[in-house]
Formats: sequence, C-alpha cells, structure tokens
Amino acid sequence: MSNQSLEATVEPADVQSWIDAIGREPSAAVPLLQAIQGAYGYLPRKAMDLVIANTDVNASQLYGVATFYAQFRLKPVGRHLIKVCHGTACHVLGADRLNTSLNHILGITDEEEDTAANGSYTVEDVACIGCCSLAPVMLIGEEAFPNLSGADAQRSLKKHARKVKEVLPGHEEMQNEAKAKKAAKVQEVRA
Amino acid sequence: MSYKSDTKILFKNIDRDDSHKLAVYQGNGGYQAVLKAYGMQPVEVIDEVKRGGVRGRGGAGFPAGLKWSFIPKDDPRPKYLVCNADEGEPGTCKDRDIIRYDPHLLIEGMAIAAYSVNATRGYIYIRGEFYREAEVLQGAIDEAYAAGILGDNCHGKGIRFDLAVHRGAGAYVCGEETGLIESLEGKKGQPRLKPPFPANIGLYGCPTVINNVETLASVPDIIANGGDWYAGLGVENSSGTKLFSVSGHVNKPGNYEVELGIPMKMLLEEYAGGVRGGWDNLKGVIPGGCSMPVLTADICETVTMDYDALAKSGSYLGSGAVIVMDKSVCIVKAIRRLSQFYRHESCGQCSPCREGTGWISKIMDRLESGKGTPDDIDLLLNVCDNIQGKTICALGDAAAMPVRGAIQAFREEFEYHVEHGRCMVG
Repeated sequence: MSNQSLEATVEPADVQSWIDAIGREPSAAVPLLQAIQGAYGYLPRKAMDLVIANTDVNASQLYGVATFYAQFRLKPVGRHLIKVCHGTACHVLGADRLNTSLNHILGITDEEEDTAANGSYTVEDVACIGCCSLAPVMLIGEEAFPNLSGADAQRSLKKHARKVKEVLPGHEEMQNEAKAKKAAKVQEVRA
Repeated sequence: MSYKSDTKILFKNIDRDDSHKLAVYQGNGGYQAVLKAYGMQPVEVIDEVKRGGVRGRGGAGFPAGLKWSFIPKDDPRPKYLVCNADEGEPGTCKDRDIIRYDPHLLIEGMAIAAYSVNATRGYIYIRGEFYREAEVLQGAIDEAYAAGILGDNCHGKGIRFDLAVHRGAGAYVCGEETGLIESLEGKKGQPRLKPPFPANIGLYGCPTVINNVETLASVPDIIANGGDWYAGLGVENSSGTKLFSVSGHVNKPGNYEVELGIPMKMLLEEYAGGVRGGWDNLKGVIPGGCSMPVLTADICETVTMDYDALAKSGSYLGSGAVIVMDKSVCIVKAIRRLSQFYRHESCGQCSPCREGTGWISKIMDRLESGKGTPDDIDLLLNVCDNIQGKTICALGDAAAMPVRGAIQAFREEFEYHVEHGRCMVG
C-alpha cells in the first residue's frame, strides 16, 4: 500500500523553535535532523526545506548528512518502529527468525515493504545495537527485548500492540484462518 | 593457571544501589583522584598514566599516556577532549555498562585527562541507539555541574572544564576517530587522511585527544593508586583490567572485568558459564569484535587474552568483544552477513573499500547460495589483499581481516559450499 496516509503535517513554527534552540551553523545539522525525526518519525520534505531556508546548512550538506547516517529516514514510517539486530552475536543465535516471525504477524509479505499495511509498525534491520550479551535482541521504540525466539518476538509484539492499541494485520489474518478452520471442522463433524 | 585476581576498577561500583548517582559515587571515594591530579603538574599526570601503560580500549590499543603527550604545550589554540562512546563494533557492549552504571567514573576520568592536556571543553560522542545511557549521562553531567565539579571553576581550583553529550546518528565509521570528529562538526562521518593527527589538527582544527570510554574510566584509579600499581595488574605490554563482552553460544553471556592475560578458556568456562553444549562443542571464537579474525577451538584451548598473545595467534584483542560460536554455526553464512554489514557501512570515499566490500558481499552471496566456483575462494583473498592497507581508515582492514581469517581457519567449509552447493553444518 502507499504510505501516503503516513505523511506528517509539518508546523513551520515547530521547526523554527528547534532551529532557535539548536543553532544555525553547519555543526547543528545532525541535532536538527534528530529533532525533526524525533517529532515526525522521519524527515518530511517540508521540514528539510525550512531548515535549508533558515540556517547556514545548504541543501547538499543537509541531504548528504541525512542519507549518510543509518538512523535518518526520508520516507514515512509506521507509528512504531521495530529494530531487529543483526550483529554477529544476534546472527549466530538466530536473528533471521525474528524477521520472519514479525513479518508474518504484521502481514508483510512483499520483500520490498517494511511497514504493515495499516501503518502500525515498521520493521528495520540494524547492524548492532550494542547489547550483544542479550542476543538475539530487538527494539520496539526505545525498549529492548532480549533473548528472543521467533515466538517470543511475536508475543512481545502482541503485548506491545495491546498496550498501544494497535492492530496487527497478520495476527488478525492468523486468527481468522484459525476460526475458519475451526468452523470448517465443526461443520465436518455436523455433516 | 597462574591467573587469579578479582581487582575491579571499571565495575567496582556497578553492584551498588543507585551507582549512577553522584552521592553514591562520592560516598565511595569518587572525585578524590581528580583532586589529587589537580594538585600535580599536568605533565606529572601524563607520566603517571604512561607508567600505568593503559592502552586504548576501543580497539587500536594505542597507549593513552603517549597519546596525551602529543598535544602541543605552548599552542594558543583551544584544546578539546573527546570521549568515543560510539560503541558500534558488533559484539561490543561494555562501554554501555560503564555509562549506565558508573557515569561519574567516566566524567572523573575525563576531567583528569582534560587537565593533563589543558583542554577546557569535552564532548562525549554517544551512539544514537543508547537512549537511556544518554539520559543517564546527561543526568550525571547536570549533577556534576550543580556540585561545582564541572564548569568555570572545577572544585574551586580555578580550572575550567565544560562537558557536553553529542548523540550520534548511526554510522559505524564514526567510531574511527577522525570520522567521529567530522561527525561532531556536523558533517558526514568520512575519516580524514592522517597525518595530521587529531593531536595537532582535530576538532575545528584544534589539538584534540580522543579516547574510548573504558580507557578514560580506567584513569581515576591509575591516578589514585599510581601508575606502578596499575602496571602490576595484567601481563607485560597488556597492563590493567579489561572488560570482555562475551556473547554468542555461552551459558552466561555478559560483561566481565578481568585482568588482561586471563586464559580464554578460563574466561569462557569459569566466568561466562561455559560453552553451550560443553567445551567440545566449540567451533571458534572471535576474540576482539567482529572485524577481527576468528580463532579455531584448538587455539582457544591455550591462548591468553592479552594484546601480544592474541596477535601471535593470528587475531587481535580489539575492543574485547568475545563472540563464541559453537558447532551449529555455518562460518560461510556468518561471514556473508558480516560482509553485508561492511558493504553497508563503508563510507564510500576510498575505492578499494567502497568497491571491495561490495565485491566481497557479492561473492559471499554466491557461495552461500551454492552458486560459487572453486576460484571464488582465492578471489575473495585477492579482493582482501587489494583492500587491506590501501584505505584512509581501518574500516577496509576490518572488512578484509575476518574474511581472510575465516578462509584460513575454515577453508574446508568454503570448499564444501562450492562442491555441494550447501552448508556443511546442515
């Protein structure tokens, strides 16, 4: 699906307030981008334009920095961001299984897609989040979930979804399938 | 085994309640070392640290005292002290614990280092993913300012030292010191050609010292107890204690502080709870973070964890990230994953690294998916030859060394992939 619905509404006054607080010099580029992404979850075009127009950072510098660092995203993300660690320790303990399980429960089937169709969660692979003794590990937002199997990852996500009142498309599908199976079985027995 | 010691320097406070708070830190002798340092001449402080022989704990192992002594003395430019807390080497998670549980130890170490090189401003460059740690650190810095430990008049001695936290944005290459400086200046973190070294032209063109968190956190105890005391810990050329982040297939993964020179087997068996499935189930160990060559189980049997012994055995101490792999691991698959990482993290300014990491990754994809040819293994070595030592920073070396090491130690697994089109371990 298109991510159109996830586009953020940028308030120029907000962007201006970050510029005022952080600064206009080129060294402010990273903290400014962090403030923007902190608020919108990604770097909306309009906010980027405002920074370029109102600071000493020019467009090539700003986009150079924004595309250099892994944390910055130019595309909208789901309302919650899941980071699955693929550092060496997580890899040898089965990090791939976390992706498979998460994509399944989120109903993400297209390999090019990383966001659930309802815009709830985005799954991102990251290199190493620096808590290797807890491998395999994922972050949902800023919270770390340690020592996961694929099933654990699904459980943690379900719990998180309940807390923040999100629907997991794949989970619904899984439940519907299970219900249909059960109904079919009941009919079979009746027949 | 001659090794026996439980001296704690970096983790001495970690088990105390509220160990991150100033009152708890001061209650256990905290900030006495910096007062002692303020009573010494800066050059005496540097000499003490030199005598201690502490080597850079970020991975390069350069002696810290020597690094400080490179800062020009009669130079009108401002001097900077930068703490590298961009802990990004996969497998490494030690600095995180220091920051989280004993941030004042780091601040005190920085205050001492700053005094010794006459730096009035310090930055802690912390990796972006360390959300809580950045908060804890900021809280500790605020406490230190309020108590007059930092600021224009540190401890009322007329010494100035300001300290600020700078959050990184996710780039492995920013762990390289000049890449980090570029990043601090707000640019893409592309490493600079050296020389000039940061000691002469660093942050904003000024003399700059950059040290790893663990290195700086070792400093207060060196000053408090003396360089000779510190040099008495560990073994020759590898003095002091070191944090090892043990991860992978062990029963008790975690960070362990031990004296350098501990036998690897002892570290894994007695501290980290043993290899999963027993010592005989061990396949290999990466002793110093994922950019170091893997060691086979028979080497692990006898090697000790210090700079010289690991170098002699064909790998390096690096950052002290010990990644343990049991026999379930397919080396080819693990290296393939790692090669994707380096391809992604190469900053792109040197052709051998930018192109070479891509080629390695492509060849590894081919081997892993069973489409490799017998020539691919030597082709990998050839690509490694053409990266290593031919780039501005060490990222190229870091990408090449594990591939070369894996082929050297487990060539038969690569050959098996070529011959059978699949993995030896199933």
